[in-house]
Amino acid sequence: MKLLTKTTLYFIILMLPVFAAGAFYLFHQFNKEIKHETDEELVNDHLEWLRYLDTASVNNPIFRFQTQEFRLIPTHQPVQQKFKLKGVALYQETEDTYAPFRELSQVINLHGQHYQMILRKSMIEKDDLLKNIITVMLLAFGGLLLFVVLSNWFISRQIWRPFYRSLDKIQQLQLNKMETLRFAPASTYEFNQLNKTLNQMTHRIHQDYINIKELTEDAAHEMQTPLAIAQSKLELLLQDENLSGEQLKNIGQAGEELQRLSRLHHNLLLLAKIENQQFPVTLQTDLCQVLTQYLSLFEELVHEKELTIETSLVPVARWPLHPALADILISNLLGNAIKYNYPGGRIHLSLTDKTFRIANTSHLPEIPPANVFQRFRKNNPVYTNSNGLGLAIVKKIGDSYAIHITYQYLDNLHIFTASR
Amino acid sequence: MKVLIIEDEPSLRNSIREYLEHQGFICEVAADFRAAIDKVTDHEYDCIVADIGLPFGSGLDVVHELKTLKSRAGIIIISAKDSLEDKLSGLELGADDYLTKPFHLSELNARINALLRRKNFDGNTHISFSEITVIPASKAVLVHDNAITLTGKEYQLLLYFIANQHRVVTKSALAGHLWGDAYDQAGSYDFIYTHIKNLRKKMLEAGGEDYIKTVYGTGYRFG
Repeated sequence: MKLLTKTTLYFIILMLPVFAAGAFYLFHQFNKEIKHETDEELVNDHLEWLRYLDTASVNNPIFRFQTQEFRLIPTHQPVQQKFKLKGVALYQETEDTYAPFRELSQVINLHGQHYQMILRKSMIEKDDLLKNIITVMLLAFGGLLLFVVLSNWFISRQIWRPFYRSLDKIQQLQLNKMETLRFAPASTYEFNQLNKTLNQMTHRIHQDYINIKELTEDAAHEMQTPLAIAQSKLELLLQDENLSGEQLKNIGQAGEELQRLSRLHHNLLLLAKIENQQFPVTLQTDLCQVLTQYLSLFEELVHEKELTIETSLVPVARWPLHPALADILISNLLGNAIKYNYPGGRIHLSLTDKTFRIANTSHLPEIPPANVFQRFRKNNPVYTNSNGLGLAIVKKIGDSYAIHITYQYLDNLHIFTASR
Repeated sequence: MKVLIIEDEPSLRNSIREYLEHQGFICEVAADFRAAIDKVTDHEYDCIVADIGLPFGSGLDVVHELKTLKSRAGIIIISAKDSLEDKLSGLELGADDYLTKPFHLSELNARINALLRRKNFDGNTHISFSEITVIPASKAVLVHDNAITLTGKEYQLLLYFIANQHRVVTKSALAGHLWGDAYDQAGSYDFIYTHIKNLRKKMLEAGGEDYIKTVYGTGYRFG
């Protein structure tokens, strides 16, 4: 959930009960006040009636006068010193409903006769008043709530703007383009601090990145130079015509091992470089073209082993991969499919915009899933030429460039799938 | 043909020099940037083999200097840095080729030969070895004036052998030359044998001598 939505939501959740409680309290107060006013009027009327009745003769028609608002009922109850007030609902014939009334009643003694005097006042109009007041209150509250929520939203959006700008920059961050990245100062203290920290951090990360990059390159230099010297010396030594066959063979083998060491080193550095994201995605590479190129490069190997290759390729498959990595991805997978195949075996290739699938037959059993992409986990004892890094590199390319690499063993086929 | 070798590691410098001189090149050497600049300003070379990491400067600056001097020399960069940027900037500056250390001396030699063919004669000449004549412009191969048809790989092999004549070339050097970086995917070098067998057969059928000698467990020697 976005920050803005969240604060607005919390605000509403907090404000609603407060406003509701406020509205309820106001309603309650008004109600009480109105009742109080009505009761006061009733008490006033009561006093006036008492005064009037004291002077009225026994024959006064008032003793037979009965309305909803005033009645005198002869009774045998004892005289009450104090009147009683209560709310009643009375049936209104004209409207066929019950209407709220306040009622004052007292048993009084007039000319030796006990009467229960009942005075009532309708609260209908006052009720309407109350309703009006409540409506106005609710409207005012609602408007206020809306205004507060909206202004909170606008203010938040304004205040958080520098934050979102920084966030946007961080999301688009690329390691190799970090030196030009600057988080501009903001007017808010905290964001200013944040941007300062981000500046320092990106600077430090960039420095680290440069250091690692230099280290890998220097390591390459320091390692490959002695290898180059040793290899050249062996190559010169091979030219000596006085050497016996056995000696030649030994020199040849030493040379082979140097080659292997060099390749191993090269591949380890490659892994580090991929991990460092030193291969920026500058353009889309057409995997179909790469695949076709390697198919023709490996043509002799395929022919030699009498392999059948079935292909289902789209004419153009653009993947966001550095060309060098596209080469490595395809050549490693295709190379494995040929290398570990048996004579007369099969390879199935399928390529689309989204997936590259390569399946091959092999005498080798299923690779335990935990080992497939492990470095130096050689899954076969037969080929000394393997350095156990090919699939690890493929996996690393996948991890670093959002390509999903999976391995399956189905119907005697080893299947590798790269999908994005 | 004069070659200048710019390399700060004395052992490697000497190896390259020894190999190239044996193949008939006249070699001069420079051990650092300043010596290299002095040499290229004072002398004309057909080919320059330059390391990138040098004392007092970079091999790339030597390339730059050569271009300022409008030198016609072919330039091959040899670098231990397997960095794409270096490779691209080297080629952009005007280097003709780029070789990553460690490399086979036979490969360097073959590249120099190919480069010189392209540079000096625009490809319009022929290469001879005894009764064998190769015309690079049309990729034609004649044995005793009889044209033989070679596949792409066989043709490349033959040129490689002629450039490195009388020398032992290892199977891995041949594989690297024919398949580039992808050769370690190959699994074995057996397939080279097939190409060699076919090449030998075609040359023998055309009445040529068998110049390809197998060196036990190591590789081959031509001539």
